[in-house]
Amino acid sequence: MGNKQTVFTHEQLEAYQDCTFFTRKEIMRLFYRYQDLAPQLVPLDYTSCPDVKVPYELIGSMPELKDNPFRQRIAQVFSEDGDGHMTLDNFLDMFSVMSEMAPRDLKAYYAFKIYDFNNDDYICAWDLEQTVTKLTRGELSTEEVSLICEKVLDEADGDHDGRLSLEDFQNMILRAPDFLSTFHICI
Amino acid sequence: MSAYRNSAYEEDPDYPDYSGSQNHTQRYLKSPGPLNNSDEPSTRSNPYPAESRTSPDYLGSLAEPDYPGSQSNPDYPGTMSHPYSAGTDYPKPLAEPEYIGSRRNPYQPGSSGDPDYSQFQRNPDFPGSKGSGNYTGSRINPDYLDSLGEPDYPGAQENLNSSGPRASSNHPGSRRNPEHASPRVKAYIDSLGEPDYPGAESQSNHPHFFGEPDYLRAEDHRNSPNFWGEPDYPGAENGHDYGSSEDPEMARQMLSRTSSVQPPFHYEDVSPLGVLGENDYPESIEMKSVGMANPYPGAPGNGYVNPAYVGDEGPGPAYGDPPLSGHDWLSSPQGQELIESLIPMTSRDRIKAIRNQPRTMEEKRNLRKMVDKEKSKKSRRILELNCCAQCLNSISLAYRRFKNNLSELLNSISLWQKTLKVIGGKFGTSVLSYFNFLRWLLKFNIFSFIVTFSFIIIPQLTVMEKNHLQFTGLEFLTGAGYFTNTVMYYGFYTNSTIQHDNSGASYNMQLAYIFTIGGCLVVCFFSLLFSMARYFRNNFINPHIYSRGIAKLIFCWDFTVTHESAVKLKQKNLSTEIRFLANHSNPGAVLLLPFVVSCINLVVPRFYSMFRLVERYEMPRHEVYTLLIRNIFLKISIIGILCYYWLNIVALDSEECWETLIGQEIYRLLLMDFVFSLADSLLGEFLRRIIGMRLITSLGLQEFDIARNVLELIYAQTLVWIGTFFCPLLPFIQMITLFLMFYVKNISLMMNFQPPSKAWRASQMMTFFIFLLFFPSFTGVLCTLAITIWRLKPSADCGPFRGLSFFIESIYRWIDTLNQTPSYLWVVWIYQNLIGSVHFFFILTLIVLIITYLYWQITEGRKIMIRLLHEQIINEGKDKMFLIDKLIKLQGMEKRANPTLFTLERRDLEQWGPQHVRQHDAPRDLRFRQSFQEDNPKA
Repeated sequence: MGNKQTVFTHEQLEAYQDCTFFTRKEIMRLFYRYQDLAPQLVPLDYTSCPDVKVPYELIGSMPELKDNPFRQRIAQVFSEDGDGHMTLDNFLDMFSVMSEMAPRDLKAYYAFKIYDFNNDDYICAWDLEQTVTKLTRGELSTEEVSLICEKVLDEADGDHDGRLSLEDFQNMILRAPDFLSTFHICI
Repeated sequence: MSAYRNSAYEEDPDYPDYSGSQNHTQRYLKSPGPLNNSDEPSTRSNPYPAESRTSPDYLGSLAEPDYPGSQSNPDYPGTMSHPYSAGTDYPKPLAEPEYIGSRRNPYQPGSSGDPDYSQFQRNPDFPGSKGSGNYTGSRINPDYLDSLGEPDYPGAQENLNSSGPRASSNHPGSRRNPEHASPRVKAYIDSLGEPDYPGAESQSNHPHFFGEPDYLRAEDHRNSPNFWGEPDYPGAENGHDYGSSEDPEMARQMLSRTSSVQPPFHYEDVSPLGVLGENDYPESIEMKSVGMANPYPGAPGNGYVNPAYVGDEGPGPAYGDPPLSGHDWLSSPQGQELIESLIPMTSRDRIKAIRNQPRTMEEKRNLRKMVDKEKSKKSRRILELNCCAQCLNSISLAYRRFKNNLSELLNSISLWQKTLKVIGGKFGTSVLSYFNFLRWLLKFNIFSFIVTFSFIIIPQLTVMEKNHLQFTGLEFLTGAGYFTNTVMYYGFYTNSTIQHDNSGASYNMQLAYIFTIGGCLVVCFFSLLFSMARYFRNNFINPHIYSRGIAKLIFCWDFTVTHESAVKLKQKNLSTEIRFLANHSNPGAVLLLPFVVSCINLVVPRFYSMFRLVERYEMPRHEVYTLLIRNIFLKISIIGILCYYWLNIVALDSEECWETLIGQEIYRLLLMDFVFSLADSLLGEFLRRIIGMRLITSLGLQEFDIARNVLELIYAQTLVWIGTFFCPLLPFIQMITLFLMFYVKNISLMMNFQPPSKAWRASQMMTFFIFLLFFPSFTGVLCTLAITIWRLKPSADCGPFRGLSFFIESIYRWIDTLNQTPSYLWVVWIYQNLIGSVHFFFILTLIVLIITYLYWQITEGRKIMIRLLHEQIINEGKDKMFLIDKLIKLQGMEKRANPTLFTLERRDLEQWGPQHVRQHDAPRDLRFRQSFQEDNPKA
């Protein structure tokens, strides 16, 4: 308890609890994880809300993300300005969305952002190619990749505009029950 | 859509008039001239309405930000493109609701003067509209009306022909007009170069971003209010130009098509929210979140692109908020609305709603703060006198705190957090689900143990007699001997009422026994039921639309996996599976075979293992299912035969204390099962690894058989549930077993197994397991115990029920005794009228059946609704394609009419689209702008 009070004020903790899907203990655990990433950068006192960002290189080297093919995208999507450098808030946001408790729609929304590589609010064929390449480590040939993209679009593109909108994506996620358990990072 | 916008932006130069002119200022300065000819019929060629009409979707949004001219309108662009920043930059206040209506004021007079306009507005049978319901839904939107009304301007129609989105970019004007080109480029660079776009900064950026290039012109127009105030905005010359060069008939056709398409588009906006609001779904949470999905920041064509729309009439204002960063957003009308809608909620719902906002922490925190502030303000105002409500408030706060603490406490005892994480990281969610299941069962057993220990065992221990039997150590295996006379078995328990020191407090062992076991089972029943329902709800939302397509294979990457080699293996497996799915489109047909095979295998269980060697399945899942079904039948038959043997042979043989005998047998079964599992894990799996690695390297490492392992757990759990009655300590034993099992399996897993190559559907598996645990297992246990308690005669010389003719008789007797004490008559009444009464159960069943039927009907209705909505989406797509075709055709015609134009590839246009969209959608995507610059090689 004593430790908690030096890091966050009571109000801060409560706000974090209300804004994330974490308990107090988990928030503290996440904070220490965050602090561990850059001990010389992150102060142990957050009561004055210091403006600290941990660079992407450190975020991406977390064991949870290190081998994730989408780590860069995840960091970009959750960081404030899309460069992957994260404040504590961003960090908590990220794990909150990736936690077990987050509802499907929230997860789907961020998953969409992650898969939308060029940030045009649509998952277009190019985004899909990126995704497939990342997923398969480039083991598929170009023809296979484009065939797959075609199939995916064919399957999920509800309004036939040649790309997946957020609605299309959510619609599809609804049909993929595994999504909830797989779009999840243990902390 | 971006394509349209893009073109809208470049549309300007399409007017032959303007292509010649060197800048927009000239253009606008010029236009007041024709103003004077307010009687000219060609006044209708006013470019603004034309713009909005050319865009097949989201008229409001399209009409705006791209259109340089529109930005010069002090009223018009600011609010349309960025209602939020506009507040500071433009005199027109944002929050003004009539704004949308008044937005088009400059044109309104003209439009109302047009007889067709009003007619259009009121005509419910709008040609081609997808359905009157949709139409009315969208009709409320003034924006929509405007856009519908406008097509009637003849001049506008003519404009349309020249302003096809694709053609526009072909127009040389767009290249020649330096004034026009430069803002576009500049804005683009700006948007990318801006590293940070948070909070208040965005305000200064917006105008710069969008408005700046044309800002001067806007000033011009402000300085000439006459221009805007003029009812008719005449472009006499333009009108002539267009009129002469285009085919009006075509345009008209086109227009009617356009407008007929509009209703569905608007409907799309409204429908999820509207449907939600109106139908009053009982599970509002689930559905609410669906509705919520729509106006998410990224939702194209929703709150953002057409902010006027959502902010205006959207029935789901709570979620219909376009994203702005931080305070901007909160002080916006949408933010205010959200806050308003949050205030009346209970604190639990409110936190839930805030949590589910797809916003940054800071925004959520501010939102929370503001809501709290508003709430306290309100409550102070309204509830000042009402101390009761205040009391309630503080109680709810206290309750929340308590719940937080409780959940923290429960979380803190969550076992094996780290181990589970490692397992998940190395083997993925599927194997993890086995261990989660194990942990879940362990919790069950801990609970059962605590209950039985405190209510049965401790009281019994206080009156324990001396055990005269010899302890040899063999008892651990047989469970008999010394253990027979301990608290472990039924036979040891006393049938008397325990009373110490004449203190008055007494403890009826009979009742305690039956109620404890009963309570345990009831709690297990409900927790099973609820977790089963939750899994079903999450995983089988709509089974009939469930597809085994390729798309979800791609988007359901297992983010839990963190181990490097596991990631690589997974990627490899995924590529094989993707390849497979891409080439085989109908995997469903082969499902029949494994099912038939599994049935035959049931009949011939001896060939069971041999069949496994021979069988080859195309889809790994089928093999899993076959295996599962076989195993289930095997386990069911084993337990079924055992139960029959116990209840019909052992119990009726009236041997001495048959309950204890059954308890011992169950103990032995469990122990054997455990020993075999241990041996299998430590020896069998180890040997298999040695063989796989050293001797027959072609076999390789084995994979963790989730199905078999989970079924073993279920089997053991079933035995424990049955046995709890005969051996109250069984949950404790199982607790230890599971605890050990976790570590053994964990070690074995890490040493002997490789990550599964099969595509396990973890969540579905988990649902299936819990269902299995509920259906054959737990219900079977309930039946067995019911038969035992109601039908069987307890043994005469041992156990708490000795001397009774049935176990249930203890309850009867208890009721009888209660009947004599007047203060407990209500218990008797409840018993006689509710529990003991057939009529009550009959009525209860009837009510439950009716409710079930109603729910079933609701589900059916929703299924139809979903189908309709799906069709709607498809129709919209078709409409869109039709429109695009039409527009391309029109452009072709224009090209023929004006052969000097050069062609820009459609693809180029599409490429430009997204980037361009980004420019004026910047507020919604502040966080991603930077990354866009880095990421997009196309940029």
